[in-house]
Amino acid sequence: MSFGRFLLKRTLQGVVVVWGVVTVVFLLRFITPGSPVDVVAPLDASPELRRQIARELGVDRPLYVQYFEYLAGLLRGDMGYSYLSGTEASARVFARLPATLELTVAATIVAVALSVPLGVISATRRHQPSDYAATTFSLLGISTPNFWLGIMLVLVLAVQFDVFPTSDRAFGFLESVGHLVVIAVDGPLVPPGEGTRLVVEFPLDVGAFGRTFTTWLSYIVLPAVTLGTYFTALITRLTRSGMLEELGQSYVQAARAKGLPETLVRYRHALRNTLIPVVTVVGLQMGTLIGGAVITEAVFDWPGLGTTVINAIQQRDWPILQGSLIVIGVGFVVVNIAVDAIYAYLNPRVVE
Amino acid sequence: MSDRDVDRRSFLRLAGTAAAAASLAGCSGGGDGNGDGGDGETGDGGGNATDGEGGNETGTEERPEPETREEYLQRANLLLHEQAPWVYLNRQYSVYGVSNEIQWEARRDERIEAYAIQPQDGKRSVRITQSQMDSGLDPHDHRETPTDNIVLQAYEGLLGRDPEGAIVEKLATGYERIEEGTVRFDIREGVTFHSGEELAPEDVAFSINRIVKEDVGGLASPQRDQLAGVTGAEVVDGERAVRVNSDGVNPIVFQEFATYCDIVQRSWIEEHEGSYINSNMNGTGPFQLENYNQDVSVSFARYEDYWREPAPAESLEITAAGEASTRVNQLLGGETDLVVNVPPQDAGRVQESSGASLSAVPSTRIIYNAMVYNREPFDSTEFRRAMNLAVDLDSIIENVLSGFADPTGQPTLEGFVGYNDEVGPFEHDPERAQSLVEESGYAGAEIELHTPVGRYLKDLEIAQAVASQIDNLENVSCSVQQRDFQTLAGELLDGDLSTSPAFYLIGWGNATFDASQTIIPLLTSDGALTSYSSDRVDELIQQAQSMTGEGPGSSGADGDGNQSGNDSSSS
Repeated sequence: MSFGRFLLKRTLQGVVVVWGVVTVVFLLRFITPGSPVDVVAPLDASPELRRQIARELGVDRPLYVQYFEYLAGLLRGDMGYSYLSGTEASARVFARLPATLELTVAATIVAVALSVPLGVISATRRHQPSDYAATTFSLLGISTPNFWLGIMLVLVLAVQFDVFPTSDRAFGFLESVGHLVVIAVDGPLVPPGEGTRLVVEFPLDVGAFGRTFTTWLSYIVLPAVTLGTYFTALITRLTRSGMLEELGQSYVQAARAKGLPETLVRYRHALRNTLIPVVTVVGLQMGTLIGGAVITEAVFDWPGLGTTVINAIQQRDWPILQGSLIVIGVGFVVVNIAVDAIYAYLNPRVVE
Repeated sequence: MSDRDVDRRSFLRLAGTAAAAASLAGCSGGGDGNGDGGDGETGDGGGNATDGEGGNETGTEERPEPETREEYLQRANLLLHEQAPWVYLNRQYSVYGVSNEIQWEARRDERIEAYAIQPQDGKRSVRITQSQMDSGLDPHDHRETPTDNIVLQAYEGLLGRDPEGAIVEKLATGYERIEEGTVRFDIREGVTFHSGEELAPEDVAFSINRIVKEDVGGLASPQRDQLAGVTGAEVVDGERAVRVNSDGVNPIVFQEFATYCDIVQRSWIEEHEGSYINSNMNGTGPFQLENYNQDVSVSFARYEDYWREPAPAESLEITAAGEASTRVNQLLGGETDLVVNVPPQDAGRVQESSGASLSAVPSTRIIYNAMVYNREPFDSTEFRRAMNLAVDLDSIIENVLSGFADPTGQPTLEGFVGYNDEVGPFEHDPERAQSLVEESGYAGAEIELHTPVGRYLKDLEIAQAVASQIDNLENVSCSVQQRDFQTLAGELLDGDLSTSPAFYLIGWGNATFDASQTIIPLLTSDGALTSYSSDRVDELIQQAQSMTGEGPGSSGADGDGNQSGNDSSSS
């Protein structure tokens, strides 16, 4: 099978999974007690008024009609309208997506930057204090619930020592670099009114950039560490075991026998092979992080998809909830396909 | 059906479901909770156990017939104490964390008017953190406190309330009852909307009609029951005044307008679609919208042409953090000036901090355990009274709520019109409770207390304490059933008593400060959320609602805007 066919097959499988996600998410509304009419109707609404509201919301038609209309709407990028405010669900959801993606990427960077060196140190200094320290850290990281960790970090580093803000997000990464390069992307990724342009202004205001970037960084550090800790621990263990396995392989022995320096043997040969499964897990975990950010976002009042999901559940605003869940699901599928593609590219035997 | 039945039904419909304030703490509906619900079971309650079993225990009915509206309400409260249709629990407190950089006093109606915030030491901007953001900015298209607290910075009503709950004039300069079903409001001059256009009586009439009439303003407002009884409004020809019509006397019409009905500009509403109105604001209030980042924050700038003095704060930002600990951390970190709903476990942290303090005030919300009157074993007054005697309310308030609550013994809260100050909380007396259970014939009963989790302050913990204390009785066993709030609310609001649990914990907010708006929906035969039926209570309320409450013996604001003293006459 060619790489192209492999990719096509995976994409088609992804489409089926997304369709399954959409169907389940759509049906959730029907198996949950209560009607959308209850969300908007006055307490003393007459049956006639309730029927009128049901008509306006489009929930008075047979389930299959609503389902196919919803599917057709999704293909056009239309996720419906908020029951409560009448605003477009897609605009609401995509306005919050960048914050979640930013947090997910930051958590991944924190995790990879810490875990790979830790794993390597742990493997190359086996049964030494640094190995025990790294292994203990991994165990703690995997065992610690991230909501608890988040609260502790805030209490110590934000409330007690005032190093970081306790919560919230001052502005997005793109805005933080706005002093250096003014970037705005057309479409729903930026709030309305910001325009569409790519401008590089000279001379570059590096000082202002430094200040805004530092502010941006100060807000994202604690949530990124909180979200990334479990991930860090996981990758550390994976890197350690992978390195240990690779260092015992015969090609490593051969390299050493050839007289290659140990540094070259470890980092050029053993580590590169170790990183293949690590890259796969990192990719897959990013998908998990998008969904798992819900709790971290709640603890840090981070205005991402997780916060939107919680608000939508509390308000029973189904179009917003469905839209958010579908975007999270699609994100997971896309990341999976990308990881499969990268893995297949790196290791062509998978395709065969 | 007798004339009396017809009469009672029509008055209850007139009073509407009167879901008052945030009702079930912001419950946005559920089920067909219409005012004439409860057909069948509740309507047939004439011969129920309560009517025959204990109405005269302390000689209530030997007292002379009440004369004033307030006396009727007080009598109803006395009867409802004796009949014990609820396990009376606590009056919830609103507990806020306030930065030392501002001065602000908490209000009893849970509203945060940023106009009343005084920034200190040259501070110009104020930040408020709520537990939840708005559901849209249309002032007539929501019914939750968090949205209220955002909308009320930019929109105002005809009347308002001072921090103690007394009625004050806002966009109206005078208000009076003209005849039985008609009241008049004189409209203030020199008031402008944020768009710059002047407030006209047409805007006021349109705003009222937009709430009470389904075909006005492109909206079936979920606030219709908040103006229960009001049928419409019209401009008085040639005068700067509006006439408001009600179906019947509507004794609480001014209380309703003191709490509800924001005034919008007619032309602005008619020119724009719902989604625009939900993401923009054009009111007459002290702050005008500057930036709306839905689900995240709302920013306001001081409105310099405000009809009163401009607000002390130049700018205002309202955000939300669902986690109470996050809000408290923001306050202690100096990132916000005012946070809502500080839980008891975090109160100490705020009190001990050097940069913030607590502001706690009794709210308009009561927490209670309803006992459905026609379900065993709660069809016995003795059993219901026993449940009240079994509960050590003081202990719950001290240990579960850290003192941030007041005990109750009647459905109406202290300070409300109709509160009966002769009636106190039940004394904790387990031995008497056990003997009453024996008398009721339900010794050995096994009951289950249904409770929402996380809906009200410490709801589960309160329910567990109550159940444990009841379970300590030798002849009753009690357990707790945790419930999803929306599902529970749906069962309570579907107009069918048989689908609701027999014993459940719920909270009720009533920002009209009038007993009727608690008793009618919760304790009369046709109430939208009733768990009780008694002909005598229905009759007392019917009498009260047929009187204006104006004149000797009344409390609260009367038709001329006069405040008369709180009459302590008993019933």
